[in-house]
Amino acid sequence: MAEAVESPGDPGTTTPRPLMRDLKAVGKKFMHVLYPRKSNTLLRDWDLWGPLILCVTLALMLQRGSVDSEKDGGPQFAEVFVIVWFGAVTITLNSKLLGGNISFFQSLCVLGYCILPLTMALLVCRLVLLAEPGPINFMVRLFVVIIMFAWSIVASTAFLADSQPPNRKALAVYPVFLFYFVISWMILTFTPQ
Amino acid sequence: MLQQDSTDDTEDVSLFDAEEETTNRPKKSKIRHPVASFFHLFFRVSAIIVYLLCELFSSSFIACMVTIILLLSCDFWAVKNVTGRLMVGLRWWNHIDEDGKSHWVFESRKASPQEGKTVSEAESRIFWLGLVACPVLWVVFAFSALFSFRVKWLAVVIMGVVLQGANLYGYIRCKVGSRKNLTSMATTYLGRQFLRQTTGDTQTSSGE
Repeated sequence: MAEAVESPGDPGTTTPRPLMRDLKAVGKKFMHVLYPRKSNTLLRDWDLWGPLILCVTLALMLQRGSVDSEKDGGPQFAEVFVIVWFGAVTITLNSKLLGGNISFFQSLCVLGYCILPLTMALLVCRLVLLAEPGPINFMVRLFVVIIMFAWSIVASTAFLADSQPPNRKALAVYPVFLFYFVISWMILTFTPQ
Repeated sequence: MLQQDSTDDTEDVSLFDAEEETTNRPKKSKIRHPVASFFHLFFRVSAIIVYLLCELFSSSFIACMVTIILLLSCDFWAVKNVTGRLMVGLRWWNHIDEDGKSHWVFESRKASPQEGKTVSEAESRIFWLGLVACPVLWVVFAFSALFSFRVKWLAVVIMGVVLQGANLYGYIRCKVGSRKNLTSMATTYLGRQFLRQTTGDTQTSSGE
């Protein structure tokens, strides 16, 4: 069903099922994070649904205490939210102030989607924590978190570094390093009571 | 006699569009998309209700927070992608061109004389009412959370303000056209008011 004004910029509105289009776009971006290649998909068709899903998943899994108690996990849930979104906004502002030519939402999109490896690390850590505690347990978790942390950094710099002039790349990338480091730290030091 | 004219009108229309429920009357007060109208209001109002009654529903803060976040997300998606387009013929999105520059595009559908393309008044009223009232409520909640020190809710409330405020801003930009139009509209309105004032004054003064 064509609209009276057909616009080239939004190819999806005329399709009868925009929900499937959006879900497929989110899935495609997840794939691009898992296999980082030089492609523009994360940047051109940005959306913030993936980061929201990942943030909520992360916050839910980083809960301490039982789910039914009254004083459960409230502060920790909001804390994860604030760290992720406030951190991403700060990195974006930093990169824009350094003169990068990436837009605000594109940068948020990339940073949010590249939390996917760390979310998978958290899943693995929670499974590993079901086994008996001990130094081996910790070494396995440390190994997994380090690998996924490196994966996140590689994926996000593959997309973000190109938008900076060459002498500013390190300045733009180190906050990303810090951001994922803080999240990895939260994941590694998580112990369900 | 007016009654007779209106029955003639409906009879004429039914000859051409036998299955069409809505007529060509200028009133246009039928709701053409009841499902869209329902969901437009449902997600927003449920998010507010869950926020207000969360202590009664469940003792788990997490469950309430996740529910509100889900409802706010569904509402944002539905209003931006579906109900705005169907109910009032407006849409807005972000477009990134070849050079990597981002443009925000705001469009409004031209009113065509085709059946089913004009905007119905009832739907328009429902749409704008829902669109404006809810962000205002979330701003009120933000202040109340801040001043009553229920700070753990602040994350969710700010999310509500941002998501619903974004839709509100987008659709107002669509409705009004470009920013230039907004200022010119404001100046014409003020100019007209001023003119009315001065002509009213001169009339009363000349009448005496």
